[in-house]
Amino acid sequence: MTGEGMDWTGSGSPSDVDLGRVWTGVAAEVWRRRPGPAERLAARLLRSPGLARALVTTPSLLLGWVIATVVVLAAGAAVTRSTGTPWVALFAPAVAGAGIAYAYGPGIDPTWELSQSMAVSDRMVLLVRALAVFGLNAAAGLVATAASGAAAAVTFGWLVPMTAVCALALAAATVSRSANVGVAAGMSGWAITVMAGQASAGRLTAAITDSSLVLPYLAFAACCGAVAWYATRIPRGAS
Amino acid sequence: MNIELTDLTRRFGRTYAVAGVSMEAGPGVFGLLGPNGAGKTSLLRMMATVLPPTSGRMRLLGRDPGSHGPRREIRRRLGYLPQNLGYYPGFTVAEFVEYFALLKDMPPGRVPRAVAAAVEQVGLGDKAKAKLRTLSGGMLRRAGIAQAIVNDPELLLLDEPTAGLDPEQRVAFRAILRGLGERATVVVSTHLVEDVGAACSQVALMDAGKVVFDGTPGELIARGEGSGAAGDAPLERGYSAVLAAARSVPATRSAAGTQRGPETWA
Repeated sequence: MTGEGMDWTGSGSPSDVDLGRVWTGVAAEVWRRRPGPAERLAARLLRSPGLARALVTTPSLLLGWVIATVVVLAAGAAVTRSTGTPWVALFAPAVAGAGIAYAYGPGIDPTWELSQSMAVSDRMVLLVRALAVFGLNAAAGLVATAASGAAAAVTFGWLVPMTAVCALALAAATVSRSANVGVAAGMSGWAITVMAGQASAGRLTAAITDSSLVLPYLAFAACCGAVAWYATRIPRGAS
Repeated sequence: MNIELTDLTRRFGRTYAVAGVSMEAGPGVFGLLGPNGAGKTSLLRMMATVLPPTSGRMRLLGRDPGSHGPRREIRRRLGYLPQNLGYYPGFTVAEFVEYFALLKDMPPGRVPRAVAAAVEQVGLGDKAKAKLRTLSGGMLRRAGIAQAIVNDPELLLLDEPTAGLDPEQRVAFRAILRGLGERATVVVSTHLVEDVGAACSQVALMDAGKVVFDGTPGELIARGEGSGAAGDAPLERGYSAVLAAARSVPATRSAAGTQRGPETWA
């Protein structure tokens, strides 16, 4: 008789009880982790508890990082209200790019090598984490720009450039296998774009408000996305 | 056979880390010995499906890891302990093991009991709720072993599993290995010859990317008898004798004469 099929009527002797099995059952209940609401929701949406667990451990979605993001955007909103220059719209793409670069990879995720041997694909982990970081940064940025009293064109204008900056940061991080390289590429790429906009149009916000740049931004983002997809492929190797 | 490797190579730049390894292994504990840089870790990483081979043929658990579907099936049945175990310092032991159980696609309902069993098996029951950052090196190693065995793997790959364990823990760990080897293929890469003698039914010795000996611990001991090779124990003398013999023949031939590196091997 084992712990699972114990007879509590007294017909079995105590020596029949598999105490090890009983203890394992007790320990399983005592040590069981209760997932939070976000993880439970993610598990339901993604149909994978493993993927949901990997999502909530994203380095750039941990509380400290999220607080830092909110602080930067709130400071940007305050400065925007006082100076009239839309700093939030100019900061948001760079902040999101850094978050994307720090989503997953060697040097950032300590369990990266081990994760590569897991049944849940590490590329799926990266995709889910990147989408979550993008979504969070987009939402926080929209709230901050709206709070700063910016015009509608500015409030939404930075979303497309942000997509391009995030894709650039992701591609650089995955190709180089370094989050820092990804951050550097995203930030410098965005800084060059903003300065080029000011040089050509005389306005710091040209990189955000010029509608003729939407297609080039999207095309660039698609190219960078393809590079990141290729860089994270699982090489077939010989078999 | 759970492991079938045929002329497997892995090249980094112009250097062959693994230079034409062929071997087969069924259930049992398989020891992988060799000096630093012999190619043990690269071979293990290829078998863990982390590193693709440059050439050669590999079948694991009867499947081809080069294809997506079979690779996923292999990974569900695989346990892997890398040489450098990374961990989230803020996780508890139980959370750490549970994390990998979920990533191994275990049915969520089975996970808590499997985690408890694995944590108990490595003797970390009293530390299950302790943060990983508070553990000693040996305890972290045991947490790593727990995540490797949590899914009751059919193929278990352990890279230097006894590093950091004290003698008592190593004795207990060898008992775990013997138990696991009754139903699974366990490959243990180690520098510690005594681990091989105590736990392994089969042993391969690697040097310069090639397998220079493949046999039982008894056969390895026999190689050292009367050879005058250095070593305090019979297995160590066998180890030294095989390495000395392998290094005394041209680079394209192994000591056993059965393994050949590719023509471009540098």
